[in-house]
Order: sequence, then C-alpha cells, then structure tokens
Amino acid sequence: MAQTDNPSREQILNQIRSGLRMEVPEARAICSNRQIFEAVTNPLQRFQQECVANLMECTLTANSESSALQLAKALQSLPAGEVFVQEHPSLRKLTALAASDRSIRWSSEGAPGEASQATVTLAEALIAQTGSILVTASCGGRGASIVAPCHIIYATVDQLVPDLQTALSYLARERKLDKNSFACVISGSSRTADIEKILVQGAHGPRRLVVILETGK
Amino acid sequence: MSATAAQRFLQEAAVKSADLVHREIIRRGMESYDAAHLKGRARIKDWEAAREKCQKIKREAINHLDRYLVQFEQQVIARGGHVFWAANGQEACSYVKDVATRRGVRTVVKSKSMVTEEIHLGPVLEEAGIKVWETDFGEFIVQLRNEPPYHIVTPCMHLNRRQIAELFREKLQTEIESDDPAYLMTVARRKLREAFFSAEMGISGANFLVADVGAIAISTNEGNGRLCTSLPRIHVVVTGIEKIIPHLEDLAVLWPVLATSGTGQGITTYSTLIGGARQPGEADGPEEFHVVLVDNGRSRLLADPEQREVLHCIRCGACLNICPVFRHIGGHTYGTTYPGPIGSVLTPHLGGIAEFKHLSYASSLCGACTSVCPVKIDLHHHLLQNRRNATSAGATKMSERLAFRAWRFAMVHPAIYAFGGWTMRKVLRAMYGLGLAGSIADPMRPWNRHRTPVPLASESFRARWRKELGAN
Repeated sequence: MAQTDNPSREQILNQIRSGLRMEVPEARAICSNRQIFEAVTNPLQRFQQECVANLMECTLTANSESSALQLAKALQSLPAGEVFVQEHPSLRKLTALAASDRSIRWSSEGAPGEASQATVTLAEALIAQTGSILVTASCGGRGASIVAPCHIIYATVDQLVPDLQTALSYLARERKLDKNSFACVISGSSRTADIEKILVQGAHGPRRLVVILETGK
Repeated sequence: MSATAAQRFLQEAAVKSADLVHREIIRRGMESYDAAHLKGRARIKDWEAAREKCQKIKREAINHLDRYLVQFEQQVIARGGHVFWAANGQEACSYVKDVATRRGVRTVVKSKSMVTEEIHLGPVLEEAGIKVWETDFGEFIVQLRNEPPYHIVTPCMHLNRRQIAELFREKLQTEIESDDPAYLMTVARRKLREAFFSAEMGISGANFLVADVGAIAISTNEGNGRLCTSLPRIHVVVTGIEKIIPHLEDLAVLWPVLATSGTGQGITTYSTLIGGARQPGEADGPEEFHVVLVDNGRSRLLADPEQREVLHCIRCGACLNICPVFRHIGGHTYGTTYPGPIGSVLTPHLGGIAEFKHLSYASSLCGACTSVCPVKIDLHHHLLQNRRNATSAGATKMSERLAFRAWRFAMVHPAIYAFGGWTMRKVLRAMYGLGLAGSIADPMRPWNRHRTPVPLASESFRARWRKELGAN
C-alpha cells in the first residue's frame, strides 16, 4: 500500500462534512423518466454512419482471409517503416495471412517505437451510438492507439454494442478497470480546431483510423 | 486593492470592446461554435432530460462529497497509486514539485488543466529548474505568448492564423512557410513530440473522478492528454475535489453532454479512463501515479446552500460562449483563471468578495448562461446573490453607500424627491444647452461620453400622471 503524507486530509474532510450539514432543497424533477438518447435499432448501420461522421474508415469483411487482405491493403498504403502489433493469437494469424514484408514489433516486446508507421490492435468493444472503439491496456497498451499516425483495429461484429451505456456497464461488470490501468473510448482520428475553429486532422495522435470489421457473411 | 482589479477590468473592457480585429475573430469563432452546438444538441433526443440527468448526477456527488472522495481514494491507493489532499494551491504545488525533484524530473509535459492554472503550478516548477511544456495546441500557443488561456476550452480563440504564424516565426526559430492551420499544427506537433518522448513526468487534469471504479476520466481531441499519460514514467493528476461522480455508467450521459456543450461534438475523440500506473504485463504506461485533490476554497462553498450547486460545473465553456458580455470584452479582461459567467460567480468565492465583487456586474442578467448550462446551474441568480452578499458584507465603497442612503431618504420624502428631479432636469437641460453633455462636469458622463444624450422629459412623471393618465 502506498504511503502518502497527508497533513490536510482530515481538515478538508471535516470542512466538507460540516458544510454538508446545511440542507439544500431538492430541485423538482420534470423529465426524469424521459428517454435521453434515440434507441439504436440497427447497430451495424449506425456504427458505419458514425464512422463516416468521425472521419474513420470502416471495412466489412466476410472472413479472416478477406480481413487479412484489407490489412495488407492498409499496410501497403503506408510509408516504409516498422509496424506495432498487439500480441494476440488472432493478430499473429492475421499478419501471417496478410504476408506483409514489414518488420513487426509485438506488444510483448514493449511499447511502440516513436517512428512506428502504424499500430494494429484488437478492441474490447465497438460502440454503434457514437461510432467508437473501446480499448483497454490489454489491447497492446496505452501507446498502441496514440503513438503512430495510423491505427488499424481488427474486430468482429459480435463485439458491437448499441450504446455507451452498454459499453460502460460491460467495463464495470467485467471489472475491466481493475484488470487494466487504462481504458479509452476512441471516436475518430486525433484532431484540433484551436485555430479559427478550423478542423485539422492528425494532431498528436493517428491521422487515420481503420476498422476491419468481420461480419462472418 | 479592491479598486485596482475593478478599475483594470473597466479599462480593459473599454479597450477590448472597441478592438475591431478582436471582435471579428470572436464573432467568427462564436458563430461556428453556435452552429456546431445547435447541431450537437439536435442529435440528443431529449436535451432537457439530459441536462436534468447531469444535474442529478452532480448533485448526488456533491451532496455526498466526503463519501465519494474517500471511496475514490481507497481504490487508487489499493492499486498502488498516491492520493494527496491539498487545502490550497501552495500545498498542491509543493507536493508536485517535491515528487518531481525527488525523482530527478527535468522535463514535464502538461495536458490542459484549468486547476493547474488556478494554482499557478507551471511557474512553481519552472522556478525549480524544470522545463514545462504545455502540449494542448492552444495552450502551447498561449504559453509561447506568456499569456493565460483566453477561454477554458479553446485557449487561443482570440488569435487568428496570421498572428499564430508570426508567433511561431518569432519563438520557435524555424522557417514558417505558411499560415495554414494544418501546417501550423504540424510544426507544433514536431516540436512537442520531442518533449513527449523525453519528459519524465506528465501532468494532466481530470474532467471527472469516478468514485466506484477509482479512475480519472480525461476528454481530449488532440490526443496530447493520451501521450502525457502514456509515455513519461510519472503521471500526476491535478484536479479539484468537485470533479467527483458516483458511477462509471454516469459517463454514458456526461461524456456526450460535455462534448456537445464544449464543442458540439457527439463525444470527445479520446474519452480516457485511468485507474493507476502500468500493471504487470502491460506493454507501457507510467510507473507512478499520483492524484492531487485540490480544495482551494471549494469546501467552503458547500456551506452556502444557495450556491453549493456552483460546484456542479463541468467546465464545458458553454456559458462563456453564449454570454454577450464575454463576446464583447473577451476572456483576458476578466483577469481571472475562470472567465465568463461561471468565473464571475466562482471567483469571488475563491479569491475574495471584496476584490472580485465587480464581476457580479459583468452581466446583463439576461440569463443566457443559465439557459445553456448542461448541469443547470442558476448562474445569473448567483450573480445577484453575490451582489447582495458583497453589500451585506460591507464590501461596497463609502460613496456608494452614501448615495444609496440619500436615495432612500428621497424615496420616503416625496417632496424632496420631486425637488431633486426638478433640479436635475433644469441642470441637465442647461448643461446640454451649453454643449457640455459627456464633459467632466456632466453627472451623466458615464453614459453620455460615448452616446447621444437621452432626451430630457419636460416635466416629471407624477405631473404627467396627474394631468393625463390619472384623469381617466
């Protein structure tokens, strides 16, 4: 257990407790039972739409062979250089099928290098409502989804959940944040609009996000 | 002292509202925000229900602040993290500085955090010989200009691309070929990448502290917050105690609402959760994780039942963007860490009512801020309460108190009131006749200085009432 010297802790907590003794009247709830978000009826269609809005590329594939083909295509379009891949049997298989001649650094060998051209990872879930990818530290670590200019995600359609609520419940239920020091809902490429509110893609993180989504049909 | 902050505010407000370049930049920025915000709100089926839900979540959290903070702390400690409770800015700064010096830190990369601005952490570290890089693009730009952030979400919205290109040319010692925003971002990215890969410590803020899982939540679009919390070997979170929320699932509403109110996005690009340092078997991540919980006057606000809800604020910036006063005088004029309506409400609590009471009047009380607040803080009424509190605390000037006393006396003595009105009409008419309107001798100078005088009535309201209206 970490020891941190905390001389003000009790004082702050006491001040909070004494402040909270003052009762604050409850506001009247007007719309407490109303539905906040439109229900997602067709998750796959919604996910694809949101990917377009988030400036992500999403390709549906029928099987691992065609997924490997898409991966090979994506890798081919990149400048020469190392690729970082999450250590996982399915990605071992996929990269073998893709038969790219690029040098691969596996997450079991450590963090992605500064000059990685792309990272290839799995996801914990895909979220239809916001067109997002949910990753945790298990998906190749923290840098795997932020360091390289291109992030390629290999996922299957059974990982698709309708909304954020479902994704967060899944994280909580599976105690994912006990098992991982990090989780992130990624919704598009890295961007900024700090200058004159003009959107610039590829700020500090990936400029390109490629989702290879295997539907099995 | 009290006159200084207020006088400076009035002077700068007069200069800024007449600065046409500034006006044009802000007008264009706010127009694109307005459009995005409206579009974003339309994507949420029931915006009012969403606001109410967020209000409910924050009220639950703040009304049980002690319990949720301890729950959060226990989880972080159980995973080997450090939690430090800072009663004020000084305690927070020296804790961070101590960790940095103890661990031999020479370079710090920072992601955006308004709390670190509030406690002036950057200068404290710089004084200890540590190089601090602001890595949010907008923050990087204002840091180069030695300026505080102009806006809590978009720190450099007061600058146009030409000014930023000029700044880079001057400060970065590199050839700047164009003022295209994408190009300027590339230049900054290249510079900051060196910092990311060499820094030993990353400092971030937190948008939320999630009590039930003991994790911090950070929303960033650029990904700089991700790099700051992934690459350096030490991660320090500096945040306010009021950022707590009870449950992980609360983010299912808070994340979309924060993004919609902040920029009009459906959700921020990177909505990150971090519960501690790198765990065994993970490919990367910091070896140490510290959370600094800053009080700095917040717990005092809890005892004010009228204004406790000010602690519900999620710092989205929506009230700044909608405020007609902010749109004219800009962010720096306020002279505070938090500008705009929320800053005008909060600053007197954090920095003292005597010095900052003038901010309660930096409002037309139109209520636009209250109407957009995603956690339904009754902002404009809190400004009125601050005005009242300043008066009852005796923080007003002697001249103001005397003037109100005279006015009250006149109000209960109708003959004197009528005489006063008559005298004023005569004096003003004579003065305007002599062309002295707006001059130093004109009692109506503050108004008449920049405007055509309002035509004077020929007789008093009471006389007209007797003659015309009262006759019916």
